[in-house]
Amino acid sequence: MPWESVIPSTFAGDAPQTADSPMDSDAFAGFYERSARSLWAYLARVSGDPALADDLMQESYLRYLSASRPGLHRCEGEVAGRRYLFRIATNLLRDHWRRPLSASIEEIAEEFLAASVNSAQADSQAMLKPALARMRPRDRQLLWLAHAEGYSHKEIAEVTGLARASIRLLLFRARRKMAHLLREQNPKGGER
Amino acid sequence: MTLRSCSHEKEVAELLSRGQWPQACAPELRAHISACRACGDLVLVTETFQRARADEAGAMIVTSPGALWWRAQLRRRNAAIEHVGRPLLGSQLFALAILLVLAAGFMVSQLRPGLPGLTWLEGLPLAHGLHLEVLWPSALFNSGWSLLALIPVLATLALLGGVALYLASEKR
Repeated sequence: MPWESVIPSTFAGDAPQTADSPMDSDAFAGFYERSARSLWAYLARVSGDPALADDLMQESYLRYLSASRPGLHRCEGEVAGRRYLFRIATNLLRDHWRRPLSASIEEIAEEFLAASVNSAQADSQAMLKPALARMRPRDRQLLWLAHAEGYSHKEIAEVTGLARASIRLLLFRARRKMAHLLREQNPKGGER
Repeated sequence: MTLRSCSHEKEVAELLSRGQWPQACAPELRAHISACRACGDLVLVTETFQRARADEAGAMIVTSPGALWWRAQLRRRNAAIEHVGRPLLGSQLFALAILLVLAAGFMVSQLRPGLPGLTWLEGLPLAHGLHLEVLWPSALFNSGWSLLALIPVLATLALLGGVALYLASEKR
């Protein structure tokens, strides 16, 4: 087997799709358009850091494209591809939390500190952000995947790597705590 | 905290996921939700998260996927190059190991006549046990250019060993 055949011809004119490449450039562009916003929202809300969400989102897509999973997109469909992408992002978040914190205030981008949100976002952030900040990272992930993305318990288990049997109880507890925090912040809005 | 779920939870979750809450909700179910804590929590949390998701998705600036695509291709290419280079490194190490073993064997065999400072080497079992001198023509060692002739032989052996290992690992 000649070594040239092993190395993808990146600099060739139209970068042909290799045998184990998940998708071609056009298919990826479509997939990206459809999935980027929800992935970024997940990363931004769970991490609480939009700049970090940007970095982790890029890394998630790079790993997704670099992964050797033949036929992932072609055979298993976009839903499975999306789930796999969320799984990569979840693992990246976990790795980030395991690393010791070293960022100082000077290293944080100014845009992150500036208030560049509209009033609806401000309402949503004012409501959810403090409550999320008081939740554990795993609970944030579970709540977002279940209630923002609408994933089933089985899908959440696949994304997070947790046992399927424990998802129901963990989610129940997290939801109860979150509802309590939301009602605490906004007693009128929380009443039904 | 005990898990006390409600039988209406599934129904409420479906209404929420379809975006039919509260318009398409029956009055009885609405009355139940206002009284049931589990269903009330579900509605409150789901509504809040869905609103946040919509807001966050609007706030994100979608960058071009083309750059990501090319970066991924570069990463795949680098990984492939590393994959190809791995047997080469292995064969180089193997060749070096062979060369060192042969050089050590040669040194031991040359010390047989006995050097004043290194007589202790003759006492080693390796020196007596290997008898590497039988591999070579005795005339070669007796002549003055023995070392000069041996170096290309050793180098060729090491090279052949490395090539053999590379071919073996490349096939695998």
